[in-house]
Amino acid sequence: MSFLKLERVKKVYNKTIEAVKRFDLEIERGEFVVFLGPSGCGKSTIMRMIAGLETVTEGDILLNGKSIIHLEPKDRGISMIFQSYAVWPHMTVYGNVAYPLKLRKKTKEEVEEIVNEAAVICDIDQYLKRYPNQLSGGQRQRVAVARAIAVKPELFLMDEPLSNLDAKLRVSMRTDLKRIHQDLKSTSIFVTHDQSEALSLADRIVVMNHGYIEQIGTPNEIYHESESMFVARFIGSPPSNFLDVKVELEDNKVFLVHSTFKYEINNKFVKTLKGKYIGKTIVLAVRPENFTIGNKGIIKTKATIVEPQGSHIVINANIGDVEVKIVSPILDILPNQEIMVGFTESIGLFDKDTEKRIK
Amino acid sequence: MDKKENNKSIFKSPYMFLVPPLLFYLFFWFFPVLISLIQAFTSIDGGFSLENFRMMFQDDLFAEAFFNTLIFASVSIVLQFILALSLALLINRKFKGSKMFLFIMLIPMAIPPSAVGILWNTGLIQTGWINSFLSITGVQNLMELMGIASGPVIWKQATGLQAVFMIILIDTWTVLPSVMIIILAGLQNFNEEYTEAAKVFGASRSQALRHIVLPIIKPTIITALLLRLISGLQVWLISVMIFGFNTVPFLLERIVFYTDQVRTGVYSYKLSVTYSIFVVVLVAVSAFAFVKLTKTKDWSGANE
Repeated sequence: MSFLKLERVKKVYNKTIEAVKRFDLEIERGEFVVFLGPSGCGKSTIMRMIAGLETVTEGDILLNGKSIIHLEPKDRGISMIFQSYAVWPHMTVYGNVAYPLKLRKKTKEEVEEIVNEAAVICDIDQYLKRYPNQLSGGQRQRVAVARAIAVKPELFLMDEPLSNLDAKLRVSMRTDLKRIHQDLKSTSIFVTHDQSEALSLADRIVVMNHGYIEQIGTPNEIYHESESMFVARFIGSPPSNFLDVKVELEDNKVFLVHSTFKYEINNKFVKTLKGKYIGKTIVLAVRPENFTIGNKGIIKTKATIVEPQGSHIVINANIGDVEVKIVSPILDILPNQEIMVGFTESIGLFDKDTEKRIK
Repeated sequence: MDKKENNKSIFKSPYMFLVPPLLFYLFFWFFPVLISLIQAFTSIDGGFSLENFRMMFQDDLFAEAFFNTLIFASVSIVLQFILALSLALLINRKFKGSKMFLFIMLIPMAIPPSAVGILWNTGLIQTGWINSFLSITGVQNLMELMGIASGPVIWKQATGLQAVFMIILIDTWTVLPSVMIIILAGLQNFNEEYTEAAKVFGASRSQALRHIVLPIIKPTIITALLLRLISGLQVWLISVMIFGFNTVPFLLERIVFYTDQVRTGVYSYKLSVTYSIFVVVLVAVSAFAFVKLTKTKDWSGANE
């Protein structure tokens, strides 16, 4: 039996707006699951339904096998980190962390012990007497985390907790969150629209779009085996490049034909392509790092823009009428330089009509 | 040459912008206050004297006016706080029709005080709309059965505290929307996530309200109530409109009475000025005490 189970969960606002159309998910104890998607895809709504801050229109949410959808938020054994941190401004840091414990009728000594312990974990023990407006954004964030871990929740919810921090702090905070999760082994759900955050934190990622789940998988599965063009486009920075190609059969060999190149397929795709796609147009998806540059290339083009990133460079180049982004470890390519571009084995193919992956 | 530069720089100084408001305060604030002070602390022959204050304290209606004013200010502030907060919380829940409800609630704000007086006057006379309403709805019969009333109530015969409480109710009807709207503004600026966090971390609805919402919007509430306290200490018009002068005395009613109604010259003038000084001190002391007593711990009103 899974720890948290969402069954056919649906959310409709005002009888007309379907924020979540259908959501099925099972989460095991101790897992770190990230809900990822563009804004308005329903990911926060799902989290708020788990927390009890929104009602569930249809379906059921089971925690430890028991339905929780009719319980008040306070009776669900969860804790949450909010986007605005929601650190109460009229209480000191100590007061903020202690308040939930006081509501749980802990003795004064217990409260003090737990607060101090949480404060040390979150590195805020020197600020306990301060008020939130005397703290920086990052410190407030830590207070929110300390408050959330102090109650020793069954389930840890985080609603875009890093999006109000500056870029550098966001990265270091994300490492801290991962460390805390690894130490406490608390089951966590994390909502974000930032794909790099999702990739770096998650055991499993749930990619959502328009109220549906697009794909559920480990970061590697999501990145390398994107189930749909939406996922391939959403994940990765820069994202996948898409090229329309025609599948052709010559001498029993399968070729992908584009106006600028002809590429022979001789791996797992051959069988499927032969079966269904000969003569049809499909989409070739290439991750920026899965392009090769050098003599073995099959496409002759020119680097239009070169963006150095230190360890690698990002090259913009035109293949036909599509502008692609290529990540290359060769650092000395100049704008307007002619390059020969090829692909590695790790390419993806998508059906042009359904936008689903061809396996 | 140098001198010319200097002259120019005086006129170019940014402090020049302060001259018009300073002149304004000098003529319309400082002089009247100064004159009132001089008048209050001098006898008719012009020498320093506390005679006027002795006269004021010995005024037949001073004690009652003072007492009524304090009762009015303290009871109305509590009543209006409770009602305004409840209504603001209700409207803030944004139920269907809440905007219409808000609109209807705000109507009394648009009625000028003297019109309020007339409105309630026509209600409180024996054949007024209040008695008609009571009789049509059958409340009149009920009251007679229970022995509370025999025949139509003659509202305007109310005296003493009864009359003060009637004035409190009418005043509340008039100013409630203005108090409510300030609190509502505070609630609408309120970050909902504070309450949501409280609920998730174990608070019931009422705990979230008492421990989180109220303390955070406290500065707003204090502001609204401070304004009510000050104008509560200055009540007079409703009393005069409904009961006339000398019936339900208030401090400000005394001032108006002695300036406007009694034409015995310099004595009544001096008496009204002395009452004014007394009211000013009363308002200042009460406002100061109110702010001190309700002071929030220093979290610098970080009402984000």
